[in-house]
Amino acid sequence: MLTELLDFLGSLHPLIVHLPIGIVLLTIAIDVFMRNKNNSVHRVITLGWFFSFLSGLLAALFGWFLGDNGYYLASQISIHKWSGIAFVGVCLIIWMLRFVNFRFTQTFNRFVNFTIILLLTITGHFGGEMTHGQNYLFENLPYVEKKISVIQLSEAERAETDSIQVYEDLIHPVLEEKCMACHNQNQAYGGLNMSAFESMIKGGNSGAGIQKGNPYESLIYKRVSFPHDHPKFMPPTGVPLSYDQIATLEWWIDNGAEKQMPVTLVRNDPKIQRLMEIQYGLDLREKTYLETLKLDSPTPEKLQSVQGEKYSWRFLNPEQSFMDLKFTKKQIETTDLINIQNIKKYIVWLNLSDCMLNNDHLGYLNDFPNLTRLKIQKNPLITNKGIEALQNLENLTELNLYGTKVSDAALLRLGQMQSLKKLFLWNTRITPQAIADFKIQHPHIEVIAGM
Amino acid sequence: MHCNDHHHHENKNYSRRDFLTRTSLGLGALSLGSMISPVNAYGQSDFLNLLDSEKMKLPHFVPKAKRVIYLFQSGAPSQLDLFDYKPKLNEMFGKEVPKSIIGEQRLTGMSSGQNSFPMAGSLFKFNQHGQSGAWMSELMPYTSKIVDDLCFVKSMYTDAINHDPAMTMIQTGSELPGRPSIGSWLSYGLGSDNKNLPEFVVLVTKGKNGQPLYSRLWGNGFLPSQHQGVQFRSGKDAVLYLDNPPGVSSGIREEQLKSLKKLQNIQHADIGDPEILTKISNYEMAYRMQTSVPEVMDVSDEPDYIFDLYGEDSKNPGTFAANCLLARKLAEKDVKFIQLYHRGWDQHGNLPKDIKKQAKETDQATAALIQDLKQRGLLEDTLVIWGGEFGRTNYSQGMLKPDNYGRDHHPRCFTIFMAGAGVKKGITIGATDDFGYNITERPVHIHDFQATLMHLLGIDHEKLTFKFQGRRYRLTDVHGNVVNEILA
Repeated sequence: MLTELLDFLGSLHPLIVHLPIGIVLLTIAIDVFMRNKNNSVHRVITLGWFFSFLSGLLAALFGWFLGDNGYYLASQISIHKWSGIAFVGVCLIIWMLRFVNFRFTQTFNRFVNFTIILLLTITGHFGGEMTHGQNYLFENLPYVEKKISVIQLSEAERAETDSIQVYEDLIHPVLEEKCMACHNQNQAYGGLNMSAFESMIKGGNSGAGIQKGNPYESLIYKRVSFPHDHPKFMPPTGVPLSYDQIATLEWWIDNGAEKQMPVTLVRNDPKIQRLMEIQYGLDLREKTYLETLKLDSPTPEKLQSVQGEKYSWRFLNPEQSFMDLKFTKKQIETTDLINIQNIKKYIVWLNLSDCMLNNDHLGYLNDFPNLTRLKIQKNPLITNKGIEALQNLENLTELNLYGTKVSDAALLRLGQMQSLKKLFLWNTRITPQAIADFKIQHPHIEVIAGM
Repeated sequence: MHCNDHHHHENKNYSRRDFLTRTSLGLGALSLGSMISPVNAYGQSDFLNLLDSEKMKLPHFVPKAKRVIYLFQSGAPSQLDLFDYKPKLNEMFGKEVPKSIIGEQRLTGMSSGQNSFPMAGSLFKFNQHGQSGAWMSELMPYTSKIVDDLCFVKSMYTDAINHDPAMTMIQTGSELPGRPSIGSWLSYGLGSDNKNLPEFVVLVTKGKNGQPLYSRLWGNGFLPSQHQGVQFRSGKDAVLYLDNPPGVSSGIREEQLKSLKKLQNIQHADIGDPEILTKISNYEMAYRMQTSVPEVMDVSDEPDYIFDLYGEDSKNPGTFAANCLLARKLAEKDVKFIQLYHRGWDQHGNLPKDIKKQAKETDQATAALIQDLKQRGLLEDTLVIWGGEFGRTNYSQGMLKPDNYGRDHHPRCFTIFMAGAGVKKGITIGATDDFGYNITERPVHIHDFQATLMHLLGIDHEKLTFKFQGRRYRLTDVHGNVVNEILA
């Protein structure tokens, strides 16, 4: 009986709370603008402080009841509560001092007024954050980066998307903010403790919290996605879960609701992937080597070695560190290769086709760390022996060997290159049978050997 | 080469022409540095001094494609007889197009006066091909074999309803003449990968009738004129007046150009007209092309099986097949934008008969080009596009007979296909309704297509701009969204 009454009074808090705000502002206004020796105004001000105190006390009391029903986290309430109490206390002191006709100096009076407004602002702001959500105050300001989610991911985390876990990084923080005020180990409303993964899955008195693989049978999902006026809608007060948060929860449960589930799994669902991109700024597309590579731009001195008509090159990225280089003449020399080697770190695409490149030349290419595409086609001097040198190219994904003299034995070495994805073997000495076998052994390598 | 070299406020020698040039270019003349792609205007030694200039930030991201071969089918091929299979039209052959389908949409003056709009199902058989199961009509047996390498967009649409504005739209991003074409934008933005050949080469199938082609379709618009497309003709002189006159040796020509350059540089320093630089670069390009063009046009060392691949026509210079073979050779030489035009698809009447001929002329060589690029590894960084300027109607223009019909212009849906660099293989995106009239799924506007093309080449279409007459222009104007679904 008493609990219900207190709950009711608690719900009056938002109504009562605006009374002291109005009264104290009016009192201060009179104090500032109508202050003179007139005794009646002086009494009005004193009376104003009394009513500020009285309505503030009532608001604080009701607020206490509201906070006590457990819908808010202690950390959320704390500042609001204590600044509210301080406000009431200061109002009482001012009123009492004025009541006993204590002489306020002008400085002291200003200090008191300022303190009260400060306390009022703090109390009001943190009260607002509880009802309207964090950041409600600034989120609509222009030029302020919108923090759309309660989840804050650092730049480093966003770059290393592989290490982000769905539950730990995306689901748990939401539940913590929205649910755990009432559903924690000390105070498990309805028998549900959501602070630990296992007890959350297990659920409470009404049944399992989460049915892995079945969001629509999972009580937690059902409760947060009910219509807002449904009696069992959760959370009962404060800001409900957003659409994105609910969608993420649904997707997570649908995919097995495992504690250890990397966020990269969203690649199976473009809609959620898009949502993650917008909501958390997570770029979850599969990254190629070049997309993850960071390089500083080469100095002009470095680039001197590939000046001149023999080399045609350009940068491939705005950072101007990835180079696409082509040798333009018909006859390559060792010195040319040494020149190219000087900037090997920057070369990601290299075209040395049709320039009488031979096996010895290939030795100069054996440690280009960032080379992903190598075109050495139409060089009839290249044989199996030359291929050995290419094996150290750790990041080579595409190798064009058409019109060279490589034969079946070369496939053995090529198959050992881990990063290789595409191989061009048209017009070589490699037999169709060897290619067929190779394709079976290395299904992830696409072999293009002509029609 | 910096803009302050050109602040000749004290200059008395200010001709009428200079005045016009400057005023018409607006502030353009003051910001010379941004007008001419540094890759072209500077030798590579000057290159380094420009590392910090804004233009050098191109490409905006790592490109998928380094070059484009655009097989433009002028006149608008009928998507309903080639790619977009609509059995409903055969079922309802001869019946009126339902009012609800056409609605209030405008028709061209050529068929809007018709009393009847009888639906014309295609007379050609459709089959699914490859692992992707793409529908193709029997008109394209060769292309049908390579559908698993292709990406079909069945939901293209355009604003224009007649050929010239529609072609101008798809080639320049605007129905009104005067904007730079796609190839010019790319040349301006990305510069050259082979300084012996133009960045933008145009090949037109000879002896074809149909909608006229204007050189402004490959024009540079307001960009410096070195970025315009260069048409290579079939036959003896691929580029007219390229050869030295009798009695002038190559050495003399070189000397002459050197001296001319000195004079022109003096003039440029004096009055700062950017077109002077363009002139110099054009002269020099022409000189280099004296050897590079005959070399690239010479197909005598191509083996027979390559000619067999492209078809009998490929031995006959100027045919679509021969141009496809040349396109491959130009791609091997790193020409950035290779634009082919094949006219004759404008079949308002007699479609079944005429389209057969058109398909025969293009089908084998198109498939051959894609296969040939593929086996050479060129398809990895070359984007091939096949398509026209709009589609054709599902109803017959003129009398519908069991074995004959015509189709009018239809901007509301048409099909194009692409292959190669950065594009998913063996997919179809977009769809039209059962009557092949309206788009029901994933509409792709011309500007979206252009934005996607730029994206594949590493360009953010919103960032490549040119200021002209007080306004910054771009290929896609204020429109265009990249079609992410087709990106591999």
